[in-house]
Amino acid sequence: MSILRSNSRMSRFLADYGILGVLLLLCLYYSVRTLKQQHPTGEAAAEILARKISRSFESSAKVVIAAKTGRENLAFADTLNELLEKAGFKIVRSIKGDPLSIRNAFGNLADSGLRADTIATTRDYVNVVRNIKAKFPALAEVTISTPDGYLWPTFLLRANLLNISNQIAVIAIVAVGMTMVIVTGGIDLSVGSLVAFSAVVAAWLIRRTGGANASGIAMAGSCAAAIILCAVIGTFSGAMVTRFRIAPFIVTLAVMQMARGLAYLIAKGKPIYQIPDSFLWLGRGAEPFFSIPYAVILMAIIYISAHIMMSHTTLGRYIYAVGGNIEAARLSGVRVNAILLLVYTVIGALAGVGGIVMASQLKSGAPTFGNMYELYIIAAAVVGGASLKGGEGKIFGTLIGAFIIAVINNGMNLTNVESYTQKVVLGLVILGAVLLDTIKKRR
Amino acid sequence: MSKARLFVVAGLAVAALVAILVIVARHGKATAVRDIGSKTTESTGAIGLSVLTMGNPFFKDIADAMHIEAAKHHYRVIVESGDSDPAKQKDQVASFIVQKVDAIVLCPCDSKSIGSSIIAANKAGIPVFTADIACLAEGAKVICHVATDNYGGGREAARAIIEAIGNRGKVAIVDYPEIESVILRTNGFEDELARAKAEDGVDIEIVAKIPGMGEEAQSFKAAEDILQAHPDLDAIFAINDPSAMGVVAAVEKAGKGGRIKIVGFDGMPRGRLAIRDGKVYADPIQYPKRIGTTTVEVIMKYMAGEKVPPEILIPTTLYRKTDAEKDPTLK
Repeated sequence: MSILRSNSRMSRFLADYGILGVLLLLCLYYSVRTLKQQHPTGEAAAEILARKISRSFESSAKVVIAAKTGRENLAFADTLNELLEKAGFKIVRSIKGDPLSIRNAFGNLADSGLRADTIATTRDYVNVVRNIKAKFPALAEVTISTPDGYLWPTFLLRANLLNISNQIAVIAIVAVGMTMVIVTGGIDLSVGSLVAFSAVVAAWLIRRTGGANASGIAMAGSCAAAIILCAVIGTFSGAMVTRFRIAPFIVTLAVMQMARGLAYLIAKGKPIYQIPDSFLWLGRGAEPFFSIPYAVILMAIIYISAHIMMSHTTLGRYIYAVGGNIEAARLSGVRVNAILLLVYTVIGALAGVGGIVMASQLKSGAPTFGNMYELYIIAAAVVGGASLKGGEGKIFGTLIGAFIIAVINNGMNLTNVESYTQKVVLGLVILGAVLLDTIKKRR
Repeated sequence: MSKARLFVVAGLAVAALVAILVIVARHGKATAVRDIGSKTTESTGAIGLSVLTMGNPFFKDIADAMHIEAAKHHYRVIVESGDSDPAKQKDQVASFIVQKVDAIVLCPCDSKSIGSSIIAANKAGIPVFTADIACLAEGAKVICHVATDNYGGGREAARAIIEAIGNRGKVAIVDYPEIESVILRTNGFEDELARAKAEDGVDIEIVAKIPGMGEEAQSFKAAEDILQAHPDLDAIFAINDPSAMGVVAAVEKAGKGGRIKIVGFDGMPRGRLAIRDGKVYADPIQYPKRIGTTTVEVIMKYMAGEKVPPEILIPTTLYRKTDAEKDPTLK
């Protein structure tokens, strides 16, 4: 008896915290798998290396700095230069550039007969520097100094975590709408196509209003128009579902085809890319304080407002009521049709927003965007605990579901899993998560 | 079923799934590593490769050849498939940057939208190379582009047509004008015919140019239309092997098999089989493996501080029935 009881207690625990647990386990797994020597970059690397050189060389030593191009690497070179000079070292050369310029500079150094004690460089450039140095016998005595690494999972690097959030933003944003639709007992298959439609419409309007020289207002207007158009298409689906009582699966299947076809027609089958650089702001930009991408901030705002709406307002209660028992809801005075119309409009608009984010990330609008996204989006909601029977589903559950998908994709990329295998694994995980959900239902 | 038993069964199922997952993940990795053949030696660096799609054997050949060549220099190749999805490819490049790979090789899913990813790699100081498909975005710096000489291949196709039908006749092209590399092929084809007309007195007229989308079903329809409109046609140039297969089907359906000469492009196994069976006259063939090998060679040169050209074109060669009969891979 006691075994049975502890089993049922465990199953309850698994059901309530299972999804979050799966996410944490996945994070743990990929953290362990990607644990390796990390190499500091930028100013941090310069500070570490300056201390190391101060320890191992006399302060009259002559140093050559060799750095890659790119903002962080330039910061490394300049900071190191400054720190070492302050400590009394002589900087013979500070080379910033591609392997060719390193080779030229080394050749120059070897010919000039200037003596150097060590070459300071970053760890990700040391192979190149070492190989090129070996070509010049005159530099044989010169050592190479690099900043010491530290053990840390690549998965848990700040840049990678921001990547994950940025990568899942589009799917996660649309999944909010999907959760609402699924809670009402419906489904929306058109969202992937609407993402493409929105991206194409926005890009097309921007091209019409000035192309690469379009003003900020023109861009904002184009995006707003695209989102509104998607919302209208959502309303259309909702109307078909409520007025004519066609199954949502069928309605949105038809809309999925139409929206994709329209996207191809508008774009004439080709990507539209005549877009100003400033359009990258939403998809690639980040706020200045913690460098959190704007797309992630947008996602957070949408999640918080949707959560408040679903769990703390009458409207949210009504949405759950419609999905729980549509007749009971109708009899208790809930305007069922209005609610349904609203959720399909919301998911249309959110798919529109997703399309804008994607267009911004890729600085183009193409009719091929968002292919198969409807399935990822449904998977995020279902993995997050939304029941396809309706009446159940939590907004933050969906967020966790979306992150599970993102973490698996990212983790498999980092651990070099074959692309064929990736599909199998993703399918298995979705199945596993739904299985957990089934245990919860049977409890 | 009692709750307890249900739980046990579900638990077992989850455990089984996890086991499959682990095995599959292991297996997937193992095959990736086996090709390298340098497990014993510590790899000195990594090259990140994201191809258009691994569903196409052409890109698999490029990836495999890169593996082998990179292993000689003790480099590891991280292979990803963009699955023709520009957004997915963007994520893959982002993960290459996080992993601080030494170089990135791309077969872009979209020549324009790949630009923002290449710019991000440029900012991180990681050199970017393209293979087969070029990047056409402004502001994105690509060190070197390695691809088939499509223009030269187009000229070769025209020479094959002349060889097949002689100095007079009517020819049609089943085209795919949306694709940059195909535009080069048709340009080369037309230029060579024009040259032959001016210099050698060859009088071959291009009577039709119809898009076939580079795939079998569309090309079949295109070829049927062409055959309707031009009953006296002598030859058809199809810009790749799938198009050529569609053309073969249409020609055979019209009962003109053997009378109308067909020249394809690519040299994929199906195309070579059709050449052996005499259904297609010849193919200018591409060398995806050579593209992969050359790409790695260029990366190594670049890393050693040598000058590299902005573009390397791999020439095609003409593959005829006699070559197909000797081809060991078709036996």
